[in-house]
Amino acid sequence: MRNFDYLEPTSVAEACALLKQHAGEAKVFAGGSHLTILMKQGLYQPKALVNIKKIPELKVLKFDAKEGLMIGALVTHRELETSALVREKLPVLCEAESEVANIRVRSMGTVGGNLASGEPLTDLAQIFISLDGKLRIAGTTGQRTLAVEELFIDFYTTSLAEDEIITKVVVPPLPRQSGIEYIRFSSSSVVDKPSAGVAVRLTLNEEDVQVARIVLGCVGPTPVRAVKAEALVLGKKLTAALIAEAGAMASRECSPSADLRGSEQYKRAIVGTLVRRALKAAYQKAFSS
Amino acid sequence: MKRTISLKVNGVERRAEVEARTTLLDLVREQFGLTGAKLGCDIQVCGACTLLIDGKPVSACSFLAVDADGCEILTVEGLSTKDRLHPLQEAFMEFGALQCGYCTSGFLLSAKALLGECPQPSEQQIRQYLAGNFCRCGCYQEIVQAIKNVASGVRSQE
Repeated sequence: MRNFDYLEPTSVAEACALLKQHAGEAKVFAGGSHLTILMKQGLYQPKALVNIKKIPELKVLKFDAKEGLMIGALVTHRELETSALVREKLPVLCEAESEVANIRVRSMGTVGGNLASGEPLTDLAQIFISLDGKLRIAGTTGQRTLAVEELFIDFYTTSLAEDEIITKVVVPPLPRQSGIEYIRFSSSSVVDKPSAGVAVRLTLNEEDVQVARIVLGCVGPTPVRAVKAEALVLGKKLTAALIAEAGAMASRECSPSADLRGSEQYKRAIVGTLVRRALKAAYQKAFSS
Repeated sequence: MKRTISLKVNGVERRAEVEARTTLLDLVREQFGLTGAKLGCDIQVCGACTLLIDGKPVSACSFLAVDADGCEILTVEGLSTKDRLHPLQEAFMEFGALQCGYCTSGFLLSAKALLGECPQPSEQQIRQYLAGNFCRCGCYQEIVQAIKNVASGVRSQE
């Protein structure tokens, strides 16, 4: 690993100023579980790391009846997994987190880092997108809000400017009659990165689907919404035939690459199956909510 | 440029001069001579370099030493007391939970962290918590048995 300056700001404003000063040559350092590996491999060679772990406001984890669940950028995977508040408000996050990587990565890795890394083979982004989650982002010229969906541009590439950091994720409260299901599938071992991860959130009006989010992760450079499959189910009561049709449609709406976790065809088939299962489960949950 | 950090290692206050790029694993092995933790995969998958920081398991291969400033580190060398092995170490010996031993310090420390969080884990909880520690001799059954034995309380825990 090339050596670098290690900077420890104590406020968001100071962190953004340091990032700006280094004009793209500095990286934000939180848990470090992603960054240190890429630095050891020489893929990133930053001149400086800006350690944001000494900024207390980034550790917030609370629920506001109007805004929803607020998850600070520094909240770790393990904190989400074991939080009583998250278990009460959004248990899908606890369940998903219990399957992320291994206990050591979950202890170190943060929610903000997970998103800002732009790593496509991961889980949280799909869930946040299905819930219409928003990011609060700070930069040297002020703050802005961005839909999680709009963060991702390409493999390891996000729309964050070089002086910006994610400060928190805000997940709005689920409307009545909503259900969400996340299913990830690993083709080699349970601690491996997923071959595919599918999040489905449905909000119903009586028996009909009023809002549908079908988000496909790990099967392309960025997570994608299967908008055609969403359109298929909108305004309708879900039947087995419709669920099968939506699964088949979604499997054509992603762009998986063949790798050690499966061929393109294999991953498309997995996506179809996961979408069918997740649609069915989310529909049932929405009924009983 | 080197920085001075202070941390508590196995209960003893230590200071060290490190470069920003020095990993915690290199620090404990090369400067402190604590070679129980091993370098394995170098990408946080195998668990051979597991150390506990403030009671939480981390991959020391990918943890910057500067980031451990002010923290409490436990290595496998800190598990036993002068004249007695830790109950987990005793149980690993009794159940034959190792062959080559390369992964053992990581398994012991992960198990210690698990029992710290949950003193009486179910077999499923043990398997889930330890899913990220690999043993290429394949001693998984014996490792689980050893941890269940300690959790059952037949040995005094420390």
